[in-house]
Amino acid sequence: MIVANYLVAAAVFCLGLLAIMLHRDLIKVVLGLSLMEASGYLMLVSMSYRRHATAPVLVNPPSGQSEQSLVNGNVTDPVLQNFCLTAIVIGVAVTGVFLAIAVRAAQHYRSVDAANLTELHG
Amino acid sequence: MTEKARTTEKARTTARAQAETEREEIGTIRARPGEVLHRPVLAFALAAGALAVLGLAVTGLPTDTAQLPAVARQAMRIALPTWGQTEVVSEVVYGSRGFDTFGETFLLLAAVISVMVLSRGREPRSEYVGESSAGQREQAELDSDGGSSGTDQQQDEARSAERREESEDAAPAELPDDLPLGSRAPDRAQAMTVVVRAAARTAAVFLFVASIYLAAWGFTPGGGFPAGAALTGVAILLYGALGHQRVNRLIRPNLLEPIEVFGAAAIVAIGVLGLVLKGSAFRNFLPLGETGTILAGGSQQLYSGAELLEVATGLTIAVFSLLGMSHDWAGDDSESDSDSGSRSGSDDEGEDET
Repeated sequence: MIVANYLVAAAVFCLGLLAIMLHRDLIKVVLGLSLMEASGYLMLVSMSYRRHATAPVLVNPPSGQSEQSLVNGNVTDPVLQNFCLTAIVIGVAVTGVFLAIAVRAAQHYRSVDAANLTELHG
Repeated sequence: MTEKARTTEKARTTARAQAETEREEIGTIRARPGEVLHRPVLAFALAAGALAVLGLAVTGLPTDTAQLPAVARQAMRIALPTWGQTEVVSEVVYGSRGFDTFGETFLLLAAVISVMVLSRGREPRSEYVGESSAGQREQAELDSDGGSSGTDQQQDEARSAERREESEDAAPAELPDDLPLGSRAPDRAQAMTVVVRAAARTAAVFLFVASIYLAAWGFTPGGGFPAGAALTGVAILLYGALGHQRVNRLIRPNLLEPIEVFGAAAIVAIGVLGLVLKGSAFRNFLPLGETGTILAGGSQQLYSGAELLEVATGLTIAVFSLLGMSHDWAGDDSESDSDSGSRSGSDDEGEDET
């Protein structure tokens, strides 16, 4: 039942959102953001799944199938798998930048609490 | 009202006021950084709303019995005849949606540059971690200036301790590998024990070969991304086990940064060559080799190789920039003077934690 995967992805997304909203600790905010990204990966991979399908690889097809029958046959969605790979790289990039900002903020303010980052207050 | 009753009433009022003050104090304590949940009602309401909307939305997504979308069927059809590609996901990554990968790679490059800009110190760097020589003279001059005023003895002590530590760091008597077997394990900041060092050296060779194999030969062509990430893993493994002195000949900014930019330039060149020679960006312009061999897939193999360079160096630069961020703590003297008034007591606690 793939809908269960979708619902778990939605729940993990909301968990990440909750972490971002509830915590002022910058590291926890970055962790929440990573949770939200991870829910995206789960969603994309779940969407590419097909029942009784095989991998979209045109080498050594399963018994009883040829490469040509695989092309028209039942395989998982390769485009969504590509999107998932793209999302992972973007997730890593975003996490890296946010962590660098968190470390700099910690060094400057001696605190990772967002409420203490008050230098730009009017 | 009798005198006794009046006294009791007064005592009650005092007690109530005291309790209120205490409650306020508890409130203040609770409001201290990191302890309370921030705006819980709003957060839970928003999360519940998002869950409801997402829950409704995902029930409308295609189920696991639906037919593949047209774009996926098209990718399956053209993978082998047009791109000579047996792994359809790689065909999508480096072939029919090569432009997406191009955008993603340059987003990664932008992120790496952001991390570098955010994490760089005041002095130019020759290595990421264990930076010991650059700026030492300038720092000594600054320190002697600050010391002569004699305003902050504690700061001076801390600085001299830090200097001692750094000089130990800069000139160790010998590398951990030169010590005879059976001698004490080196300082954790220098390297790990001989068992870990030997295991890491062995594992690193296998991991390195496996990464290159993944990019060059695994379901050829393709695999530049995961192979690059695995190479970064090798770099971190060697740094963790052998210490910065052993890896800083390879992992240093003026070697990694040119390689990264070369990888990025190669990707641009592959896209432009496809555009010029075949009429669309990232189109294959090389003859397709035999399927399943290292030359299969034409220009996709070049694209994958350029990605390998770009991702391996980019992630390594980002990781080691973050690792090397620990030194530049104290601000300028003028800065710290003006800040000291506005900083609260909690600042000192933070110093120890981080």
